[in-house]
Amino acid sequence: MPEPGRKVRPRRRPSRLRRSEARAGYLFIAPWCIGLLIFTVISMSWSLVLSFQHYDVASGTGTPAGLDNYRLLASDPTVGKSLGNTLFYAVLAVPLDILLALLLACLLNGIGRGSGLFRTLFYLPKMTPTVATASVFLLLLNGNSGAINTVLRLFGINGPQWLADPNWMKPSIVVMTLWSVGGSTIILLAALQNVPREYYEAAATDGASPAQQFLRITVPLVSPTLFFLTIVNTIAALQVFDQSYLLFYRDGNASVPDAARFYGVYLYQQAFEQFNFGRAAAMAWLLFVIILVITAIQMRVSRRMVFYEGGDR
Amino acid sequence: MAGGRSVLGVVVAAALLTVGCNPAAQDEPGAASASSSGFSTQLSGTLRTGGFNPSDEVARSRSDLATRAVSPVKVSMDTTEFDAQKFAAQAASGQVPDLLSVDRTVVGTLADKGLIRPLEQCFSLHGVRPAQQYYPAAIKDVTYDRHIYGVPQSFQTSMLIGNKRVMAKAGVTAAQLDTSRPDALVGIARKMYHASNGRPDVLGLDLDLPGSSAMWLKVFGGAPMDDEGRPTLDDSKNVQALTWMKKVMDAQGGYASIKSFKDSMDVFGDQNQYVTDEVGAQTWGQWYANVLSNTQDKVSPVGVPVKSVSGQSIGFAGGTALVVPKGSRNPSAACSWAIKATSVDAWVAAGRARAQKVKAEGAINTGLFTASPPADRAVRRQFVKSSGNADFDQLVNASYTTLENPVSFGGSAAGKAISDALSNAVSVSLAGEKTPAQALKDAQADATRAWQQTAVGKHA
Repeated sequence: MPEPGRKVRPRRRPSRLRRSEARAGYLFIAPWCIGLLIFTVISMSWSLVLSFQHYDVASGTGTPAGLDNYRLLASDPTVGKSLGNTLFYAVLAVPLDILLALLLACLLNGIGRGSGLFRTLFYLPKMTPTVATASVFLLLLNGNSGAINTVLRLFGINGPQWLADPNWMKPSIVVMTLWSVGGSTIILLAALQNVPREYYEAAATDGASPAQQFLRITVPLVSPTLFFLTIVNTIAALQVFDQSYLLFYRDGNASVPDAARFYGVYLYQQAFEQFNFGRAAAMAWLLFVIILVITAIQMRVSRRMVFYEGGDR
Repeated sequence: MAGGRSVLGVVVAAALLTVGCNPAAQDEPGAASASSSGFSTQLSGTLRTGGFNPSDEVARSRSDLATRAVSPVKVSMDTTEFDAQKFAAQAASGQVPDLLSVDRTVVGTLADKGLIRPLEQCFSLHGVRPAQQYYPAAIKDVTYDRHIYGVPQSFQTSMLIGNKRVMAKAGVTAAQLDTSRPDALVGIARKMYHASNGRPDVLGLDLDLPGSSAMWLKVFGGAPMDDEGRPTLDDSKNVQALTWMKKVMDAQGGYASIKSFKDSMDVFGDQNQYVTDEVGAQTWGQWYANVLSNTQDKVSPVGVPVKSVSGQSIGFAGGTALVVPKGSRNPSAACSWAIKATSVDAWVAAGRARAQKVKAEGAINTGLFTASPPADRAVRRQFVKSSGNADFDQLVNASYTTLENPVSFGGSAAGKAISDALSNAVSVSLAGEKTPAQALKDAQADATRAWQQTAVGKHA
């Protein structure tokens, strides 16, 4: 009931055009919504259910397991080892990827003629299938005859046994990851090109050195992009699977020290070698929570470090 | 860094497959009536196989014979290799193939998860006595909880293949490649090994590690598991074996350097390591004799069977087996096809096809090594003749010698986990990360944990 004395605006029926537009809009987004529902919402919900079950793949039925699958994770040292490997990789790969991408983006930003060609060249590895990249890196990283160690020898450095020495297995995967730094480079290049030239001109007039300009103008203005890359690259690094699997587990023979067993690989082994789907689902949810926590920490830290034009900082 | 989401994706996708429906295995319409665990000789319908690829003359002739034998059944083949991920999705959706060819190390795991059927009734229906038809070691690989779950196919025994040129240069004879005297073999390996600038250019003795580590455990009287399939990796004999493996590797510049050197070899090509004299002796399955025969004019091999420290010859082998998934819609046709494809007749047909091909190409017939002793004898008797190349004749004869005492990895519900744990122990020990005893102790703990999670392990 409307309050006495309050003016009630009569509800106007949407025009036929607006209704038609709304219908079209819903139709356009329907495929995405259906995809999200089926491939994300339902399947994630089901995997959560699965993580609390002893799932029998033969009969397609599950029996309640309570927290058993999660308890097993806590008592399995390989879970800890594989998580440690994954975090080590992420800590190494993410900063290196971003630093290298920033360096390359700055170089590309300074090029006038031919920048399109270089942009394409840098982006090409990103478009190469990981299987093809791994095949090349198996040759490049050979400790005796690989091109990387051959180049190192020219400088008097006896390169490591990248693929055979457990201490160098994770760095070898980082090296392979850096091969596709082009993706981050192109994103950072776009951010760099949005930094107004006038800022640099004004800073130069005030006597700021190139290093000062970089630290005081470039970095703050591209910090939202750097933050975005940090978030997405960290998430991807924590889910690393294909590089390790292709370099070390490609023949199905796990003749690999634990040093190369990442969390994603162990999850895969639990699901598709041991058929422990409940446990694999629990592992997936544990990883989800870890990623959530790390992302939340990054978001909190970003409040003090990321500069948004027009924002509080 | 992209693509990392694939694992989570496949897990949820597999989970999703179970959301819909998992129809109980329904027999193929028109297929012979068979109870859920039973087999019949009345055949009809369609047979869908997976993992079996009739790409060469041996597999093709066996497949043709078996397909004719199950007529009027229509056979449809998915020739890609067995993929556990794909199989899990198929099982979850009730769409498994009727017959699968898989590595024998996974048979125990599949049986433990209730994914495949025991085959005693299948053998009995076709009058096959497994103990007579197949090598006991191969049967052991496919036995789970005292039931046989697979029809063994191949049995490729391993041996040492020496390179006579490198051996002669180092003053080493074939008799000295004697694995029953392992300590002496360390010196022999060192003698044949050669390095330049700290990098190997001739590998003295390659033990094929960690791939063949289970065989070396057997040489020392150890084993990766007991008769029940329970892991026994930290057994003192296994520790002795791994300690020796490390000595052999360290005598030749260390495992990491050897692995990188081996990775650069043209193993299947015209410039293989026996042509280029990059190796003194290597551990190979019998099939490698066939590869070497492609370069017969450029190589000078000698076959030396592996012996245990007690002096007994050991024919260690792995191989594949045909299994019938529980959800098979036409188990009767699957059983018949598997029995026919591994029969003596099928192997003789395969031997004939191989002999004809070898003759046409002017190559050497290095024999077929099946999981069936009568088939091996028949094929050898009918088709494996002297090639005129003394080295290869000796190599082939040595290969057949290895069949006198066939041994295998063994069957276990945690077979793959035990195999992985052993490989990991060997790798970390050879890399110097852990002592052999510690590495095997940790591996035993890992394998035991996996074993305890199996149905049979929980029971035990």
